Amino acid sequence: MSEDKKQVISPESPVETQAQNLTDSEQARLDRPKLSDWLELRLGWWGFVRKNLDEQMPAGVSWWQTLGNLLMTLLAFQFITGIALSMYYSSGPESAHASVKHINEGFISNIPIFGSINWGLAVRGIHVYGSSVLVCVTVLHILRVFFWGSYKKPRELTWLVGVLIFFVMLGFSFTGYLLPWDQKAYWATTVGTNMAGTIPGIGDSMLILIRGGSEVGSLTLTRFYAAHVMILPAALIILTALHLYLVRKHHIAGPVLPQKGATVPFWPNQLFKDAVVVFFGVGIVIYLAAVNPPGLEGVANPTGTDLVPRPEWYYLGLYEMLKIMPAGWELMATLIIPGIVSVGMILLPWLDKSKSRHPAMRQWIIISGTAIILMIGLMTLKGYLETPVHGEEGHGPAVEGQAAPDGEAEH
Amino acid sequence: MSDCKNCDNCDCGNDAPDSPERRKLLGISVGIINGVIATAIIGPVVGFVGAPLLQKRKGIWVKVLSESDLPPGETKDVKFTMHIKDGFMEVDREYALFMRRSGDKVLAFDPACPHLGCRVDYQSDKGRFFCPCHGAVFDDAGAVVAGPPARGLFEHKTKIEDDHIWVYREV
Repeated sequence: MSEDKKQVISPESPVETQAQNLTDSEQARLDRPKLSDWLELRLGWWGFVRKNLDEQMPAGVSWWQTLGNLLMTLLAFQFITGIALSMYYSSGPESAHASVKHINEGFISNIPIFGSINWGLAVRGIHVYGSSVLVCVTVLHILRVFFWGSYKKPRELTWLVGVLIFFVMLGFSFTGYLLPWDQKAYWATTVGTNMAGTIPGIGDSMLILIRGGSEVGSLTLTRFYAAHVMILPAALIILTALHLYLVRKHHIAGPVLPQKGATVPFWPNQLFKDAVVVFFGVGIVIYLAAVNPPGLEGVANPTGTDLVPRPEWYYLGLYEMLKIMPAGWELMATLIIPGIVSVGMILLPWLDKSKSRHPAMRQWIIISGTAIILMIGLMTLKGYLETPVHGEEGHGPAVEGQAAPDGEAEH
Repeated sequence: MSDCKNCDNCDCGNDAPDSPERRKLLGISVGIINGVIATAIIGPVVGFVGAPLLQKRKGIWVKVLSESDLPPGETKDVKFTMHIKDGFMEVDREYALFMRRSGDKVLAFDPACPHLGCRVDYQSDKGRFFCPCHGAVFDDAGAVVAGPPARGLFEHKTKIEDDHIWVYREV
């Protein structure tokens, strides 16, 4: 009787023991199963957990394989803090700035031992720095896959979906940047959307569609808010689910050269490494949010001259490229170069025809990829060093260094 | 199909549930119905979200400055207010212009940099407009001196009437 019951309740759960003589408590448990056993019968969750914990990983997996877990955690942080922020945020041009100011200043309470805690600023800080750290870790994750050649057959679509997730993240950053509706937000969006306006033929229509009108205004804010809290999260959830499904289906690729030794289960060694990395990753976010909480500039003012426009740091490379493009060549910086890099990323598994994952066997890809990465890095650094921080006077050193364009400008 | 040959009772006509013809017809029908259903949702949403594309900009003449307030040789940062419809709101929005005289004409430069739209600032000691974003510089006639823009500052139409300077502004 009790044997049969055990089989039915949980074929894989710890309940299944070899013991013939059950103690009273064990017997009671089988007669009236715990919630976990009840759920196991209906959901099979323990099998699911075990399948993931016992996932066999190739020998030689290392700290590099912990980045995916860190990304998932950081994404969860963004969702949770984002939901909380949306409860206090208002997406109208007359209330957006005030609502973010309220988030920044209106939730200070004194907690014994800890002292005064600014809850709103803490949550916003985690959201703001979380997005930066998320982009950093995503880039590291992409670089690992790139240099290890892990995108090769049969993992082409895993790479493709991952690249799409990266683009969605950049979209999150671009749309989220406008929401505080301060000077920085307004002008970064004016410039960013004008970039879409430079596309020949469809540029003007694109500009109006993105802005909801010809100027950055109330409908731009509601559109960006809709994208930030509805469209992009939906896209991200679907793409991430697909990415994880593919990672599980094909398992992780492991080191470039197969290592000697048996496969190792995810639990406990790799999960421990994951936990350590997630701990430090989250620690960096909390540290940044605590040490340098995000500020808020004056309310968006189309006629104000007090702006020092500066995009989010990971757009600084693009920003710098826009500066150095000679007159009439801005399409190179707004569309052609970013377009080539994006399409190159998407098509990487098909551009790289070499069968081997070893970097030495695919020099063409490694050299061009490294060149692009270095160029983006240098431009970002140049932008970082040359853009004045907010509040500084002056127009940046680039003004003096510019050569006059050839010929008369049309007027 | 092979069953039909050996089976007297089978309904093997063209309207049998699994006949290839019937499958094809039903498949096409389902496709058409799904297309109509998809249109029912995509059409209104595209029309709604794309509505701003159909809105026409309209221009009006705005009185911005008394004629005597713009002495020759000076470039003035002029601000004026227009009552505009911004999406769901009607607001008094402030706009800015740089105005200067050129002979008997009044020039009104839009402060949006023709490169990517940042607000340029005029430095009277240098007689130049500077864009703080990507380093564009314009002379006091609005022409590009340095930086990435392909064209000079945009000029609005002006007229002088009733001792006032009027500007034609599209919103």
